[in-house]
Amino acid sequence: MHIPDGFIAPQMYLPLYGVAAGLWAYGAKRVGRELDESGLPWLAALTAGAFALSFIALPLPGGASAHVTGVGLLAARFGLWQAFMAASLVFALQALLFGDGGVTTLPLNALAMGFAGAAAARGAFLLLRGRFPAAAWFLAGWIGLFLPSVLIALALGAQPLIAHDAAGRPLYFPLGWSVTLPALLIPHALLGLGEGALTLLGGRLMERLHARYGGVA
Amino acid sequence: MPALPVDRARLIAYLTALVTFSFLTSPLWLGAGLAAVLALAGRQGPRLLRRALLATLAFSGAASATYAALSWWTQHRLPLDWLLAANLRVLLMALLTFLFIARVNLFRALDFSRRLTFLLTLAVSQSLGLRRTLDDFRLGLHSRAIRPAGLKARYRAAARAAAWLLDRALANAHESAQALQSRGFFK
Repeated sequence: MHIPDGFIAPQMYLPLYGVAAGLWAYGAKRVGRELDESGLPWLAALTAGAFALSFIALPLPGGASAHVTGVGLLAARFGLWQAFMAASLVFALQALLFGDGGVTTLPLNALAMGFAGAAAARGAFLLLRGRFPAAAWFLAGWIGLFLPSVLIALALGAQPLIAHDAAGRPLYFPLGWSVTLPALLIPHALLGLGEGALTLLGGRLMERLHARYGGVA
Repeated sequence: MPALPVDRARLIAYLTALVTFSFLTSPLWLGAGLAAVLALAGRQGPRLLRRALLATLAFSGAASATYAALSWWTQHRLPLDWLLAANLRVLLMALLTFLFIARVNLFRALDFSRRLTFLLTLAVSQSLGLRRTLDDFRLGLHSRAIRPAGLKARYRAAARAAAWLLDRALANAHESAQALQSRGFFK
């Protein structure tokens, strides 16, 4: 479920835009340096891939499904900066072309999911892939979903503290950490198991494809 | 001084209005803002309002219901001021975004940067193609089985789609780079 505009106070989203802008500028430079002139089509293709990935249904027991974030898979396969830039572009396109999510919530989503989630996923993958490759893919998927949920729960729960009226009543998102942390962490810890399983299967399939046919990149 | 293209001027106006609306906390001002945006939308107003309502209903509804229940439980009163102001603000900002989407060509608004326009065009066109193929994957899974697919089969199908998707994205990147190079885009 995307957070719409209007729930995150300007006291939070404006500084977050500052942080995200710095990381976007550095990320663009990194991607450009790593990929030379093919950086632009590469980033476009990866953004398209990440965008389409969000339409894959994460199967849940009983026939239900949720949406894949794909951050763990992207970060494990392509690295932190490419995953961050692609995920950020996807959030921007979803907000400005389809009205899905918000423009004021964009930096929170980009930093929590695209940056922190991707960094944790990439770190876990690099740490484990030598000795436990299956666990590396699985953990990348799980942590790529779970860590952002912790950060978003913290950001939402902080709203009543940073933006309230003289009587202490909240002006933006009204619920504190006692509600946001369990409400987001418990379902995402479980959904992360599904994302982890999908990342493991998808990652292994990609490895097999590349071993058989060779990679283009 | 050359005039600002219409789409770019509208993008700047949209972003300025969005940030301004995000500061509003008075239901009166928010209501006036909603009336103004509805007036700007003209005949499209009711349709855009419905889309904005549907897009925000799940999150706003869950937050509003939980906060109302908690307030009733702890203070025996409903937070009517917050319910009105927060829901008006969320609706106003979503309505403004849908009006922007309906009236502005984002590609033209960003055409001050050749690279940005190219990045967006390539990303969006490839996304639509990949999404169509994903639908084929989904329909293929349904058509191959008499009964609804089980959890294991659905996981395998989703993983195959994800792996294919990223592999296709890599191939697209490679092909686009070659095509651009041959047309002298990077010079």
